[in-house]
Amino acid sequence: MKALKTLIEECRAGEADYQSLIDRVPYARFLGIQVVAQGDELTFVLPKHDNVVGNPTLPALHGGAVAGFMEQAAIIFILLQMGEPRVPKTIDFTIDYLRAGLFRDTYAECSVTRLGRRIANVHISAWQKNRQEPITIARAHFLLSDDAG
Amino acid sequence: MTTSSQSFTRLDVCNRFLESVRHSVVLGLEVLSAEENAVRVRVPWREDLVGNPETGVMHGGAIFAMMDHAGGMAVTCRTFPTFEITPTIDFRVDHLRGPEKGAAVFCEATCYRLTTHVAFVRITTWEEGNEDEPIATGLATYTRLKIETAGKVVGQ
Repeated sequence: MKALKTLIEECRAGEADYQSLIDRVPYARFLGIQVVAQGDELTFVLPKHDNVVGNPTLPALHGGAVAGFMEQAAIIFILLQMGEPRVPKTIDFTIDYLRAGLFRDTYAECSVTRLGRRIANVHISAWQKNRQEPITIARAHFLLSDDAG
Repeated sequence: MTTSSQSFTRLDVCNRFLESVRHSVVLGLEVLSAEENAVRVRVPWREDLVGNPETGVMHGGAIFAMMDHAGGMAVTCRTFPTFEITPTIDFRVDHLRGPEKGAAVFCEATCYRLTTHVAFVRITTWEEGNEDEPIATGLATYTRLKIETAGKVVGQ
């Protein structure tokens, strides 16, 4: 496997596909996460798939699958901004469910509120119809440095 | 306890609930026990649930999905024998430390307050065999949808 830092430098230089970063992570492949880059803007996609269904009668997506998708999106997003990329460790993850996630593709975008030396604060928003109507919003903190224990 | 007059137990209902949720089945979730004030759920360690390929540690998302569904089952155990659809309103998880590579993870969820419209739940998560040191804690609220036919999900 290519070193993480090398891969990230190649992604930044446009020499490698962002998807290769996601495909390193077994759980991300399990969910089927994809990424679409438009310039520097990244939109993450959770394609509709039987395996991410929760409530079968609606049918609605499993809230846990949506949360895992958003957490992974944030991890990739931070990695791309780190000078010395190391896989961030999730400290906490808080999600608000605003609307039912219907059985359709889900999109997510991230914004880093603060990228400190040790800790990053990230906001993640996920939508299906349009980004003005998010189905979930989440806030998470990540530990960036192993030295911080 | 109201189980004595019922032909099915809380564990039965939780198992049927689990079976109806495709994502939870695919994750390999298993209900270990289900009582009025505590539900225990397990997720196995699997190669395809790894979050960090360098350490082999399970992804927080897989742990979250288990905790979220366990929280829903904790509400089921409080509303038993009536089954209700209870979407999550919000959920916070704190990852106290990373689980060991290869370790199955399980959690215990408790619905500590049930109101007309909202259920309040807390969840504690461990590696299997290491119950003294939690790896994660969760705090969540669920809303109680008043759907007459909700019981069909679990065959009622």
